[in-house]
Amino acid sequence: MSQRNQSTRPLYFAAAFGTGGLLSFMVLFNGTLAAYGSLFFASWVPHLTGTITALLVLSVLKPKRAHTKRPPLWVYLGGVSGAVTVMLSSAALNSGLALSGTIALGLAGQMVFSLFADMRGMFGLPQRTPVRRDILALVLIITGSLILIFLGSGS
Amino acid sequence: MIFFAALAILAGVLVSLSRQVNGRLALSTSAMESSFWNHTVGLVFITGVALLVGGLFAGEPGAAPWWAYFGGPVGVIFVAAGSWLIARIGAAHTALLIIAGQMTSGVILDIIMGAPGNLAARSLGVGLILAGMWVVQGGKRT
Repeated sequence: MSQRNQSTRPLYFAAAFGTGGLLSFMVLFNGTLAAYGSLFFASWVPHLTGTITALLVLSVLKPKRAHTKRPPLWVYLGGVSGAVTVMLSSAALNSGLALSGTIALGLAGQMVFSLFADMRGMFGLPQRTPVRRDILALVLIITGSLILIFLGSGS
Repeated sequence: MIFFAALAILAGVLVSLSRQVNGRLALSTSAMESSFWNHTVGLVFITGVALLVGGLFAGEPGAAPWWAYFGGPVGVIFVAAGSWLIARIGAAHTALLIIAGQMTSGVILDIIMGAPGNLAARSLGVGLILAGMWVVQGGKRT
């Protein structure tokens, strides 16, 4: 990998860690909405306010397009996949799996598919092969997560 | 039970799929434009399903605290950041570090909000996650 890549990697990792912190607030906010309204409402509201927010940011910042040529249509469908996620996890949550089981299985699905996609270079993203260090980190982080999910909230 | 377990796993797969497709869109446009389309297309989709199934405004949504409505703006940054990162560090690293950040911040939020918890399990869990972060970013890359 390039020199530039080596020096910026820790920054990217820190940014990803912070991005995960945002997710906790999203779960708290959207979960609170679901406690008062329907599960549809709890997903509909953040999509609506998110659309408005993104539109405002785009109109102020006007970020440059990386390419003038339009990408294929399917790349616009990421939002459908995200919306279906909410419905599936709501269905699983209301089964015998409970929150801990739903989260743990979701993490497993997310990690396995991410590794698979990296190794195949799917969806026009760069192909990557995990090294031994990545696997060790994966085992540590997932073990820590499972301990938090299944034992952390007990008294 | 196995059916619902499969749904929970599929939900995780779709999280990753969504981030990859949005990341691909960000490569052609920009991370913020990708986040915009993610939210707009998702909104149209949810509205359609909610119209078919009904019950969008069931319950007492008006009674929710005002701050609960701020999930959208946070989500815009979340999706933009994920789309930006996935092209730079890959799907697995992005997912792994987002999980690490979510778990760690979840513990901090729980402690602040006084949710009951096991101190030993929390310490061990966060300790292992931080060790994993130290491992993944260290060392010379080949």
